[in-house]
Amino acid sequence: MKPVMVVGGGISGIQAALDLADQGIKVYLVEKTPSIGGRMAQLDKTFPTLDCSSCILTPKMVEVARHENIEILAYSEVLEINGEAGNFKVKVRKKPRYVDVTKCTGCGVCMKYCPSKVPDEFNLGLSERKAIYIPFPQAIPLKATIDAEHCLWFQKNICRNCEKFCPAKAIDYEQKPEDIELNVAAIIFATGYELIADHSLLTDQYGYGRYANVYTNLEFERLVSATGPTGGEILRRSDGRKPKNIAFIQCVCSRDIRMNPNCSSICCMASVKEGILVREHHPDIEVTIFYMDLRAFGKGYQEFYDRAKEEFGIRFVRSKPATIVENPETKNLILYYEDTHASRYKAEEFEMVVLAVGVKPVVPDSFVPIGEDMFAQVKDPYLDPVASPKPGIYVIGMLNSPKDIPDSVIQGSAAAMKASILACKS
Amino acid sequence: MSDGDGFEPTIVVFACHWCTYQAINLAGTSRMKYPPNVRVIRVMCSGRVDPQFVIEAFKNGADGVLVAGCHPGDCHYVNGNMKTMRRTVMLEKLLQDMGIEKERFRREWISAAEAKKWVEVVTEMVEQVRKLGPLKLAEREVVMNE
Amino acid sequence: MSSEEVKVEGACPTDEVRIGVYVCHCGLNIAGVINVKEVVEYAQKLPNVVSAKEYIFMCSAPGQDLIREDIKKCKLNRVVIAACGPEMHEPTFRAVLEEAGLNPYVLEMVSIREGSSWVHYEDPEAATEKAKDMVRMAVARARNLEPLEKMSGEVKQRALIVGGGIAGLASALDLAERGFEVHIVEKKPVLGGHAARMGQLNVEGRKVSGKDLVDYLVKKVKDNPNVHIYTNAEVTKVDGSIGNFTITVKLKPRYVNDKCTSCGKCVEVCPVTAPNEYEYGIGERKAIFLPFEGAYPNQYVIDPETCTFCGKCVEVCPEGAINLDEKEKEITLEVGGIILATGHDPYEPPVGEYGYGLSPKVITLHQLKRLLSEDGPTKGELVIDGKRPRNIVFISCVGSLGTTPNANQYCSRMCCSASLLEALHIKEKYPDAQVFFVHKDVRTYGKDENLYWKAIDNLVKFVRFEESPKVTVGKGEVKVEVEESTIQERLVIPADLVVLVTGMEPPKEIEELRSLFKVGCGGDGFLKEAHLKLNPVESLTGGIYLAGTATGPKSIAESIVAGSAAAAKAASLLSKDTIEVEPIVAVVDEDKCSGCGICVSICPYGAISLEKKEDGTRVSKVDPMLCQGCGTCGAACPSAAIQQNSYKDKQIIPQILAVFER
Repeated sequence: MKPVMVVGGGISGIQAALDLADQGIKVYLVEKTPSIGGRMAQLDKTFPTLDCSSCILTPKMVEVARHENIEILAYSEVLEINGEAGNFKVKVRKKPRYVDVTKCTGCGVCMKYCPSKVPDEFNLGLSERKAIYIPFPQAIPLKATIDAEHCLWFQKNICRNCEKFCPAKAIDYEQKPEDIELNVAAIIFATGYELIADHSLLTDQYGYGRYANVYTNLEFERLVSATGPTGGEILRRSDGRKPKNIAFIQCVCSRDIRMNPNCSSICCMASVKEGILVREHHPDIEVTIFYMDLRAFGKGYQEFYDRAKEEFGIRFVRSKPATIVENPETKNLILYYEDTHASRYKAEEFEMVVLAVGVKPVVPDSFVPIGEDMFAQVKDPYLDPVASPKPGIYVIGMLNSPKDIPDSVIQGSAAAMKASILACKS
Repeated sequence: MSDGDGFEPTIVVFACHWCTYQAINLAGTSRMKYPPNVRVIRVMCSGRVDPQFVIEAFKNGADGVLVAGCHPGDCHYVNGNMKTMRRTVMLEKLLQDMGIEKERFRREWISAAEAKKWVEVVTEMVEQVRKLGPLKLAEREVVMNE
Repeated sequence: MSSEEVKVEGACPTDEVRIGVYVCHCGLNIAGVINVKEVVEYAQKLPNVVSAKEYIFMCSAPGQDLIREDIKKCKLNRVVIAACGPEMHEPTFRAVLEEAGLNPYVLEMVSIREGSSWVHYEDPEAATEKAKDMVRMAVARARNLEPLEKMSGEVKQRALIVGGGIAGLASALDLAERGFEVHIVEKKPVLGGHAARMGQLNVEGRKVSGKDLVDYLVKKVKDNPNVHIYTNAEVTKVDGSIGNFTITVKLKPRYVNDKCTSCGKCVEVCPVTAPNEYEYGIGERKAIFLPFEGAYPNQYVIDPETCTFCGKCVEVCPEGAINLDEKEKEITLEVGGIILATGHDPYEPPVGEYGYGLSPKVITLHQLKRLLSEDGPTKGELVIDGKRPRNIVFISCVGSLGTTPNANQYCSRMCCSASLLEALHIKEKYPDAQVFFVHKDVRTYGKDENLYWKAIDNLVKFVRFEESPKVTVGKGEVKVEVEESTIQERLVIPADLVVLVTGMEPPKEIEELRSLFKVGCGGDGFLKEAHLKLNPVESLTGGIYLAGTATGPKSIAESIVAGSAAAAKAASLLSKDTIEVEPIVAVVDEDKCSGCGICVSICPYGAISLEKKEDGTRVSKVDPMLCQGCGTCGAACPSAAIQQNSYKDKQIIPQILAVFER
């Protein structure tokens, strides 16, 4: 049985890796960031069960780390794929962490003494990390990484504090990229998604980036998270004060012919959940969700939406606000919208606005064919919905199409099944 | 759990792993609220609950005892809950003979999906037992056959 | 009996019990409500506790390290973790214990999160007190926990798939191609389920019929030597457990054997008619019938429920293929894993709901699909009451979102897309048709949004309601009255055809299924997954997996993916020779056992037997592979001789006493 490669260590890739490894098949799990976990690690709670996201993800991550059949290649990238289904030769680059992972204990002393501060991508820039860092407390592998672009030693030839203070003598500034070639039967791409946050619509229409108190949904997720920049307190960017009311605007850069006609599948329920989390901890904050259609389609979702309305008192307004104007003094935000259930134009002031920004896949270079809708093409949307048109290559999770966690997990398992058939034949 | 000098009862709950304990978890993940007067002991099946356990609980200070498991027909172990039913019917009589009011002992079927029922049952039971007042079985002059 | 009196036997090398207590903050989930520091300080004072610590995430690597180091440094021989419940992290922490050289079963987890901080968040003081009580109870129980050895059982490398619909077929094909023997048991006389009757489909531009998809899978499945197919068959008994199930299957008589050439002479003479369930009640079939053209097996069958056994078919059959005396048979299958692909029923509106059953002009979405199918009763022509309808009104969420008193609360997920697809078919076939889509919400999620765009382009008229519309059936006339919520106007739409967009329901046999297989159902009545988010194709019962619409509404494509996913879980099990099972089984203290046999009579698994000892006395013996660990024998034993591992009297009673600090 030949090994299988999984590219992307989010929940979909993790599930694929586990289901292959449990069948006795060797798996290389390639992750480009320093830790596996993906987007799910950044979420506070998950809908509709309100399970704490890291509480249910961590066991799977730990299982991956402990599994004898899984080799995690974190901080690594696929450079080249040659060969064919059943016999691929994949060149993978292990990027230098400048830390000897066999020695690093993940104690975090280096992070304490590093003087260089960098916007923390795990918190979407809402806080800072150091140039040497571990992305989050449950990271796997739990090893420090030096971000050379911001490291004073690499930029200015000074400091070397981490080396001085590392109790394990694990710092190695001489580390070079290491290219390895792996022979695998199949490759599963699970490269995930990012928000369509770069579109001018966000800035022009809704003032994101211009108005301090406008957030994306992922930023807000970090804001309500206990492990986030404010320790779970909801505080405005402008004045560090708790807002009296929050508006969520749905379908920003989704269901919009200008940049993305698809529905992003997750943002309605994510906002409902975030609204519930706000109301649960701060019953004094009023929550309004502006929506077009509320896509509560999954198991338990409608029931969750019903509870949001009835039990948690969240107000739902069917409308897509036209524009937001900031009050320059209070930094409050005035939303202009048409209430379609009253056929009236209204202006309403909110102290914080969260944009439910749509998703686009993170495309793995030229390794998989991409459709006009930005998502990876599939061989047959019915009979082979996780297979790329390229034999032996599978595309799952958000790369495949917009989807929630359960569907990403199911696709991970399904791709593992298909890849295991190939692995057993070769 | 103090509310001025009002009496707060302690209810011991025996919950089966597959149904009632899952409902208790679901009540947690759903952030439902219920009185903090219950102390839960998890067993794999309500059929494990020896009547002796219930008597021990009352004898040592419980103001109420709840035995809860899967609905009839849903038992993870075929019919363990039916055995619970038979045992608790006998137990009910014994407890009443001992002078323990019937509201103090309940048997309920609460499935894994019924977090709401769990909340309702314990809320109601705490309320009822609170009205009855402390049991103080040790102080009552009853002879118990162990 | 007090907790101190219970003697610990062979639990640790030294007699001294040394307990470590670890209280997790779980971020703010616990620490935001419960005063963790106070709980830790309290735990430190409990008897036998030699170390008590707190940490932000006990499950994280540093949290685990903290426990591992403590176990070694403090020579712990019991560990209590106050955090979440055992479901998620018991395996994590058991592994931690093992890595630190401890037996994994001397761990006790107590869920101060689900059991306290998450439910008593309005009263932090009470939550903290409760957490202390819970820790004290856990310590009392942990004191007498014993090391146990995992047991392993053989895995039969075969799978049973219950249900031969699209999800079951997908599971079967994957497992067979992976090299495992598969047995498909389908209760209907043919394979294909609902998908085979779903007419023209269109996802991402791929036009194909449901029947094409079924045909493709059926051909591959029946040509694969690893697959055994039993149609017209039902599982009647399930014995054993993960890795080793014994399944009894009833093969119902078909009354027609494979000499049948499908000539159809029998149908001509059969005097009995019944509504045709394969056309969702449109038209009729005979008591002897072929479910549909090109079905597998393509063989006639007699429905014993409607047949009068008059014998006319027997007389005319030229091949002598009919035998009315055929008896039902029973077979047993030995399998390691089970996939339940038991599907759904379409929601059937009661007569009168939106005029259903009162006029031929009111039909369900399923019936419309049959009418628009080329292999349907009208060969794809949309003809209602002898005429082609011009004004066609779809009413969404029939049987869903609580729109009527009889409706379910949940959203049926695929009906918006499925009905817009049919609306587009109608527009394509009959461009002059006026199509209204009367909806509560349009939920064409993901890429299906494309259908919504297309429907708008094709001038489907979208009418939104908050309050359920009214359908009035007059003399030959049907009207739909609806309060349009966007323009706030009451519309009256005369309809030549009203299509009730019906959702999915758990199948009628769901109750029998769940008691047969010992799987649970959720609040919506569908089968319940082990975890909604992260274990969506596993049941709570080991070795039983769930595929397709068994767990809730899904599209055909989603059902196929779920079929493959369930197959992956089964493959993980079947690729092993042995499976480790939890050792929480019953054990007998032969010195105490009087051989009365009460336990033998109440064991639901026949796992206990009486054995004669050399001295002629009898004692109970437990077969640990058959014992499932319910513990009911322990509750019944008059001499406390039979006890369940980890749930022994000496473990539970101290826990009860600890509630009252005794």
